Amino acid sequence: MASTEQLTFAIETFKRIRPVEFQRRFLSQDTRHDGRAFLQFRATHVVKGTIGTAQGSATVRIGNTTVVCGIKAEVSEPDVNTPDQGYLATNVDLSPICSANYRPGAPGDEAQVDSEHIFRLFGEVVDLKQLCIENDQAVWSLSADIVCLKSDGNVLDAAIIALMAAVEDLKLPQASLDPATGVVSADKAIETQLTLRKRLFPATFSLVDDAYLVADADDAEERLTTATLLVVLDDQGHLANVWKR
Amino acid sequence: MSSAVNDRRRINGPARSVEPIYTATVMDSVAAGRSDGRGLDHMRPIYAKAGPISDGQTTASASGSAFYEQGSIRISCAVYGPRSARKPNARRAHFVCDFQYAPFACSKRSHTQSTDEHETSLWLSNTVGPAIRLEMYPKSSIDAYVTVIESDGKMATLAATINCISLALADAGIEMYDTVAACSMGLRDSQWIVDCTHQEDAECSVLVAYMPSVDEVTGVLQTGKTTLEVHEQGVQLCTNVCVRVYAVICRALQASVE
Repeated sequence: MASTEQLTFAIETFKRIRPVEFQRRFLSQDTRHDGRAFLQFRATHVVKGTIGTAQGSATVRIGNTTVVCGIKAEVSEPDVNTPDQGYLATNVDLSPICSANYRPGAPGDEAQVDSEHIFRLFGEVVDLKQLCIENDQAVWSLSADIVCLKSDGNVLDAAIIALMAAVEDLKLPQASLDPATGVVSADKAIETQLTLRKRLFPATFSLVDDAYLVADADDAEERLTTATLLVVLDDQGHLANVWKR
Repeated sequence: MSSAVNDRRRINGPARSVEPIYTATVMDSVAAGRSDGRGLDHMRPIYAKAGPISDGQTTASASGSAFYEQGSIRISCAVYGPRSARKPNARRAHFVCDFQYAPFACSKRSHTQSTDEHETSLWLSNTVGPAIRLEMYPKSSIDAYVTVIESDGKMATLAATINCISLALADAGIEMYDTVAACSMGLRDSQWIVDCTHQEDAECSVLVAYMPSVDEVTGVLQTGKTTLEVHEQGVQLCTNVCVRVYAVICRALQASVE
């Protein structure tokens, strides 16, 4: 029917040329443009062990946001000050693959800030002493890289969930140091998993248009967000981290 | 082996780290047939999807995108363009490929864009570029960003990358002479084997990028030593397999439109 077709066409155009007004029409009626309630999160899917070349990996989808985390384990000498501790380096990779907002090349501001925050968060989760192979001589060095494949808002939550799942999935082969040659050999037949100190559960809330508090904002809502709050709980229900930005 | 040059923009691990020597469970020679039971001229199963991130759901989505899987090779590509170029007076579009491995994609890790990635980016631009009707888009640039999420066999991954970029370009609606289909072969025991995995990777291998509709080859990459006759045989076999890959890409494009 002519009139309904015109109406459909107008909605798409309205969304493109007046994005703020478009969102306000929904938010002022106590709902959101995808039909969710204000404090409703999108369906989250977590799959572990998706990358064969990595020792631990996970793929997480929150709505349309897709993030992959891969952990590679290598061996190195420990730091002089902490001879029985290994390393865990976490990095978030936001590239033009996921959104036109990011430039290719070195990590931009958002990626650097997210990497640093996640690094500090996971210092509480992984006990670096478990990564020791031979005191003062050889330790595991874990490099966790979180690559965003598609960005539809709330990449940080997805990154934390992905890293958490990847660390749970991590399987380290049994390693031993040959004192004569100084070479570390690893046996893939025997694998151990890490015992984690705690498990983290993140939740992001955004203040959209300076007036509406919504959970798990998607890309359209993030563009109108004036403030964001990340709350991380651990498995005992204690507050692990609160971050307002 | 990875040595983290003190990169201020990233969280760094220790300065030097190496892979441990893995013992036991070593693959034996390919003499008794391929490990996954494939025939010598069988490719790994391909799953290709056009448009996973360019469906316009987000405000900053790409013009075209593709996700491509071949066995355990996984590649994601986003194409932006045609968009305004820095050189406003060019008569043809400027096509650039930006290729990178995810840090966990290969057995060896590296963060900084190695020369390997630079070289591959340039080679991809030269291989896929000729298929595009660049003169249709003056004063503009077309950028393809490719990330290899998981790699399994160097030449096979390169071939898969070309297929992925072709799919993404077609998804973006950019005018081309034909989609480029590529496949690679490795020489083992004087026999050409299609689509080698990491374990089957041979010293001598050949990769052919081919446009079936116009019967033109856009790129040939050969590594290792071999005689001219064997090389020609390999290229011919590759071209035949490319036609099959082309059919898969076309079907994926059809599926994305339906």
